[in-house]
Formats: sequence, C-alpha cells, structure tokens
Amino acid sequence: MKYFVTIGERTHEVRLVERLGELSIEVDGAPFELSYEEADRLGQVVLLHHGQSYGVSIEGGESEVGVTLAGNFYAATIEDERERAAHLAERAAARGGGVVRSVMPGIVVEVLVAPGDAVEEGQPLLILEAMKMQNEIVAPAAGRVAAVHIAAGQAVSGGERLVALEE
Amino acid sequence: MTFRRILIANRGEIALRVIRTAREMGIQCVAVYSDLDRRALHTRMAQFALPLGGTAPAETYLDMDRILAAAHESGAEAIHPGYGFLSENAEFARRVAAAGLAWIGPPPGAIEVMGDKIASRRAMQAAGVPVVPGAVDPLADAGAAIGAAEEVGYPIALKAAAGGGGKGIRVVREPDEMAGAFRTASGEAKSAFGDGRLYLERYLERPRHVEVQVLFDAHGAGVHFGERECSIQRRHQKLIEECPSVIVDDALRARMGETALRAAAAVGYQSAGTVEFLWSQGEFFFLEMNTRLQVEHPVTEMVTGIDLVREQIRIAAGEPLGYGQDDVSFRGHAIEVRVNAEDPQNGFLPSIGTLHNLRAPGGPWVRLDTAMYRGMEVGPTYDPLLGKLIVWGADRDQALGRMRRALEELNVGGVRTSAPAALRVIQSEGFRSGDFDTHFLAGLDLAPPREWEPLIAAAAAVYRHRLARRRALAPDAGARRAWLERSRREVAEHVRRAGRPGSPGDTGDRA
Repeated sequence: MKYFVTIGERTHEVRLVERLGELSIEVDGAPFELSYEEADRLGQVVLLHHGQSYGVSIEGGESEVGVTLAGNFYAATIEDERERAAHLAERAAARGGGVVRSVMPGIVVEVLVAPGDAVEEGQPLLILEAMKMQNEIVAPAAGRVAAVHIAAGQAVSGGERLVALEE
Repeated sequence: MTFRRILIANRGEIALRVIRTAREMGIQCVAVYSDLDRRALHTRMAQFALPLGGTAPAETYLDMDRILAAAHESGAEAIHPGYGFLSENAEFARRVAAAGLAWIGPPPGAIEVMGDKIASRRAMQAAGVPVVPGAVDPLADAGAAIGAAEEVGYPIALKAAAGGGGKGIRVVREPDEMAGAFRTASGEAKSAFGDGRLYLERYLERPRHVEVQVLFDAHGAGVHFGERECSIQRRHQKLIEECPSVIVDDALRARMGETALRAAAAVGYQSAGTVEFLWSQGEFFFLEMNTRLQVEHPVTEMVTGIDLVREQIRIAAGEPLGYGQDDVSFRGHAIEVRVNAEDPQNGFLPSIGTLHNLRAPGGPWVRLDTAMYRGMEVGPTYDPLLGKLIVWGADRDQALGRMRRALEELNVGGVRTSAPAALRVIQSEGFRSGDFDTHFLAGLDLAPPREWEPLIAAAAAVYRHRLARRRALAPDAGARRAWLERSRREVAEHVRRAGRPGSPGDTGDRA
C-alpha cells in the first residue's frame, strides 16, 4: 500500500507492505525501520527507530492526522494513490476563484461585500466573531464576488461556505 | 476572622485555583455551573455546586441575579469572582456588598476608575504616574481619529475606552488604514464590553509589557511583589510570562514598584491588583491597571512564595497584611505558558473539539493549573484558555530548560493548542538571549522541526493503515443490530424447539 503524507509543503511517499502480520516500511524510497506500539486506545503510541524511543500521540481520521512529538505538533494529510489522483485533478480544475469557507465556528457580524463586487487580494469580505474576537475574513485572491452565502447575525460552523469568488 | 464558606463566580482553571487555596484554608467552596459545565472540574472539586441553568455567558456566569441567588441559597459569606466575567464589574461588587456578602476583590470605585481607560489616564496623570502620549478623549469617528493621529504621530494604537484583554485594539500605521481599523475595533469593543467608544495613543516601538503585582489591605497598607514580563503575545494577548524580567534590575524594580503602589493608592485600592506598564527604550509608561487576580499570577507566587488567593481572602475578611515591603523577597526564576485551544499554524484561530487524550507534565518544580479532563468538550462559548503550565528554576537558564522539558511532556489531543508555539519561543535564540519585544511572536517561524518528518510520515501512514483495518473489521451499527436480531431469533427458535423456556443450565424442574 502506498500513501502520500503531506507535512507543511512537503509530501513524503510511504510504502507499507504487510507480510505475516509484520509491516515493512519505505519512506521516500528508502527502507525505514519502525516499531509502532499503541500504549492505549486513546492515541499514545511508542515509536522505536534505530534504538531511539519516541513517545508520541497520534489523532485524527483517515485523511487528516495530527502527530505530537516532544511538544511539536505535525499536521499531516494522507492520501492513498486513488485519492491522490482525484485531488490532483480537483486542484487543476479549481484554479482561480473558489469558495471562501469559515475556518472556525462563529457569528457573522457584518458582511462587507455584495454579489458583483470586484475585490482585491486581502480585501475584507466580512467580519466573523468567534470566542469574543472579531476577525476580518479577507479575499484570498483578486476576483469578483459570485455569491454571498451568509448574512449578518448568522451563526456559521467550521467549514461552512461564506462567499464565492470568481475570476 | 475568616470565612466559613465562599462562592466562586467563575469556571475553568481559575475557579479551580481559588477552590484549591480555599480548601487548604479550611473554607468550604460553592461552585456555580452552566449546563455545559455540569461535568466540569470546578463543579466536582467544590463541596457544593449549584446550577445556573443555561449555557451562554450572559445567562450564566455573567448573570448577577442568578449568582447572588446561588450565594444566598448556599449560605456563602463571600464571593470570589476569579478573572474575566464579573471580576471587574463595579455594579456586581456593589450588589455583593449590598447583599451583606464580602467581595473578594477591590472597591467598586477603584474598579470603575481603572476600568475606564480615559478616567484612569486622567487619574494617573494627576498622581504623577507617567502615561503614553496620546489623546484621552473618545473619538467621534474615523475622521476624528485621523485628525487626532496627526497630532500624536503615527503609528498609533486605537483602543476601546471600556476595554481590556486585547479586545478592541488595532494598530494603525497610515491614515488609509484608519477607517477599517476603526470599524472593527469599535464593533469588537461594542460586542465585548457593550461600549464601542475608542481613543488613541502613540504606538511605542519595540515595547515590552512589564507589569507589577500589588497587594493592599483594608487598612491602607500596600506592598508590591515585583514585576512580570509579558511581552510574548499573539493578537495582543499574552502567551508566555516570566518573573523576573531580564530588563529589570533592583533599582528599576524599586522604581516601578513604587510607581505601581502610587497608582493603586490613588484610587484607594484594596486586594490584589496589577499595574501594567509599557517599557520602551529605558522608559516606562502606565498602560492600565487590572483590578483582579490575573491569569499569570502564579509566576509571582513561585518566585516570592506568596499565595495571592490566600492574601485576597484574608484581606476581604479584614485581616491586615502583617508584613511590609522589606519582608518581600525574590528567589529564582519562574515561567508560565498559557495552553489555549487555538491553532498557532493558522493565525492562532480558536480550535474546538473533544479532549480525548491528555498527558500532563510532572516532576520537580512543575505546576499545571488546568481544568482539563479527558472527555471535556472545548466549544466556542467560553474563553479558549485550557490551562497554564508554570515552572520554577534557580535561574533563568534552569527555568528555560525545565519549561522545554515540561512542554515536551505535554500532550493535549483533540484540539490544537498554543503549546507548540510556546516551545518554539522557548527554544528561540531571541527569547533565550532576553532581547525581544511584544512583536516577537508575530515574527517567529512556528513550523515544527523538519528533521523528524520522515518518522512522522511513517507513523502517520501506519496509523491510517491500522485505522482502516480496524474500521473494516468493526461492524457498523446497522450490521451489529441485524446480527443481534438474528441471534435473538435463533435463540428463540432453539428454545421453542426444545419445548421449554429457560437457559441451557435449566434442569427442567418446571417442565
């Protein structure tokens, strides 16, 4: 099984082969010795690699995994070959424009744009209040407002569509 | 004279902090809780707990009527407000006193003056306390702000007249930015404090935030407990605090301490309070006074050996301090890191989730003040502060090494936290050398070290592999139900064919 693990801007290829219950691992084409022992069912894992021990915690679902190692947090996205191909095709199709989504749950305080408005990169589109802080949500790129999906006073959840932009 | 029972009008780590000292003093504690906090630690650790009924802050921890009713019902003799919520609400302090209860905090008059940035500036100027150059009058609109900024000189800081806690503050470097900044700052101030008035002042370059802890009893005696360095901030909110500050020597400490005592005395202060200063190029200016116990009070406790909550309770009971400035001594170095539910790699935006996995640091001279527990839901309703990690060391180097070690031990699974960002700061050359200002964090690369990426990638892939296999093996709910129904049917059929009810061990006496 081959996985593409993206951490920050870099993607690593990890190949897992299971033989008689033993996993053999390759990272970026080179064999990678690893013992992976779950300390509990909550995410505490003991990793052994070349005699060095790492007590890490791992959490997340199949595609988004967070690993904490010695106080450092690594956000990793994981794709298998099929998902990788689908995502690459999606990204190629979605160049320019796009939908601005809420990155956190909150309440829309004010909407600053209307459909048809031309916006500059970095221009505030709306003000979202979360945990008592007001945050300006800005346009990721220059474009035109295709649709406004929310209204002032509305509560939104994380990942909800806010404003659609087009080139 | 002390109290038999007190009510803590707060939640989270600070409610626990107060409960702990009160219990040590043999005082019974009454917790109040919102519907969301039914299982919270403060609810469990107090001897009494009363529901406030509701979830939103306005109908729970900010509802004076409900809290006073709970105090009455529980027979509490005093109320400790913690920080945030009603802690700096003069009306509440008055109502507590009017209800015949003791208020574990400063006099309402002092809260009022210090709570209004404009009134406090005037009071401080009158008392001879240095203030930041600026216009003290509220600004009518963005146009008026541009006019005032011309006189003070850019860059300027727009601030909420009723503000605090970094809310309603915007820095403006050019007139062009004023309209947008004025709108968001005013809106934020209005929603946070119910008062959208703004004023502006000179924005100091390379400023450091240094504050002084003071304590006054009800008989006019006051001492200071030195400074706290709080320059590591994100979004104008503190992330790391330490005591002492590397830029404060004995002479400066005495000068700042004396100034802080003068500032507090000018408003007739009583109880614990903090006078915040901005330090820039050898000068210091009064910023504001926080008329409450502060989040970062533990670093002062670690270095001076004083329990500030105990002192607050003693003072509210009318006891004299019983010691003077010369009795206060400083030993070693303490550092605090705030563990907030927020994502440092995404602009420190709030992060929510369920804490399904916790590993708390321990060992020598490590203190973790937190209300976290496994299974806790972290939602958007309350402040994102989950806890505070505090360490002490014989000197700054030891304290830095100990904090690095403690942060390496800490795991909070289920939400993103500010802890990894604090680790970056602790390990950075700039912070270690002591040469930093309040902008330091904004300019720091918060990406984790790359050297472990292959290990992380391999572990993440194995995690997914195991998760996929577990999911493939585990029947989903529908399949499980169908299986259960089929087996029940089969057992029933078996029993029917056997001709009698009962289990296989039944000897058939009833047949």
